[in-house]
Amino acid sequence: MLEIRNLHATIAGKEILKGINLHIGAGETHAIMGPNGAGKSTLSAVLAGNPAYTVTEGEVIFRGKNLLRMAPEVRAREGLFLSFQYPVEIPGVSMTNFMRAAVNAKREHEGKPALNAGEFLKLMRAKRALVELDNKLAGRSVNEGFSGGEKKRNEIFQMAMLEPCLSILDETDSGLDIDALRIVAEGVNKLHNETNATIVITHYQRLLDYIVPDYVHILADGQIVRTGGKELALELEQTGYAGLGKSE
Amino acid sequence: MNDVIIHKGEKKHLIITHVADDSAQWRIRQEADSVLTVHLFCLEADAGTTGDVLLDIEQIGGHAETYIYGLGILTGKQRIGVRTHVKHSVPDGKSNQLLKFAVRDEAQGAFIGELIVAPHAQHTEAMQTNRNVLLSPTATMHTQPQLEIYADDVKCSHGATTGQIDESALFYMQQRGIAPEEARRLLLAAFFHDVLTTLNEPEVEDRLQRKIADRLG
Repeated sequence: MLEIRNLHATIAGKEILKGINLHIGAGETHAIMGPNGAGKSTLSAVLAGNPAYTVTEGEVIFRGKNLLRMAPEVRAREGLFLSFQYPVEIPGVSMTNFMRAAVNAKREHEGKPALNAGEFLKLMRAKRALVELDNKLAGRSVNEGFSGGEKKRNEIFQMAMLEPCLSILDETDSGLDIDALRIVAEGVNKLHNETNATIVITHYQRLLDYIVPDYVHILADGQIVRTGGKELALELEQTGYAGLGKSE
Repeated sequence: MNDVIIHKGEKKHLIITHVADDSAQWRIRQEADSVLTVHLFCLEADAGTTGDVLLDIEQIGGHAETYIYGLGILTGKQRIGVRTHVKHSVPDGKSNQLLKFAVRDEAQGAFIGELIVAPHAQHTEAMQTNRNVLLSPTATMHTQPQLEIYADDVKCSHGATTGQIDESALFYMQQRGIAPEEARRLLLAAFFHDVLTTLNEPEVEDRLQRKIADRLG
């Protein structure tokens, strides 16, 4: 699914990623944990193609193709989805028009005909139910005036609409109360299957009680310093990041 | 110069779509209880590289209302200037102006908004808003709101901003698979949306949205 080899990236001349190696197979869920400033969000931004970052070394193969050579929208149509830590408000652009443009861009990429209005609204209804997203929110401008929890649910709703192969959830748990966290996690779990994969980026172990990872990676100072099973997150909960230096 | 008097109690709707060669020059006087609505659409493609619009409006009778809604897309080497001169000479008048421009390439736009409230024009309510978006580094927009308020019991406000397309919104939309050109089109449609809805005619709004998309194609 995804193969990251020796990935280095900078922002404004400062190196943030210093040689990331990661293999993600179909059906797997990987958690990436680490202290603030370790490069977690940079990794997700680089994979999504955020133009603020520059890749200086390394390669990323996504479903057999060179990911880094694709424009951000092509990466998305190929099945890469980023759930933003801070979803962007877009006043005046309705959720419906936004999602229709996104879904039909992907369908065109796959050689499928565009959905007509009826089919599209039916799809919206079905997917909305998955994250208990209010119909009124779907009628509003993208993320405008949404609460923190509604924004995160809206991200998972969009993920459900686009059915990506690889979903990267960037700090999806931040700013969520326990009920919203449960709804979001259940949505993610329902969407997970043998053919797709999920990367969960989080600072805290809490989310991993709900989305159980197959692998946990610890990112520190731009490198993955440890990899283990789900028990690594629990260990981390007890020892803290300070106890998990490179020497281990 | 087009000279018009809107008589007592009359309603007039003026739609201006041709601005090249200084053809849109209007002097309008409003008598009591009259309502003037102006829609200004600067969407002509090559039409005239230059054009100046003048809307010189004076309320000479009480309880008159003036509404000016405008939008423009300036591309290539176009140079379009819009000057509104709205004068409240008597009490109890209302005016609202909302003008939005998107400027691309090496085009130059200008908006000068003169709003005058005479000393005895008490209880005037006047608003003026000008928002502009620059779509390329060589595009320019000059905006100059000019309020002269000589009465003390009035409600007046104005705002003028010039900015760029929101890059974070653009990336967000791209991450969902939307091509940047389509994303820009959606963002500009949103930008102009509140001007278009003042037409209260969905069919005309749709036609103008398509024309806006064409102008940016």
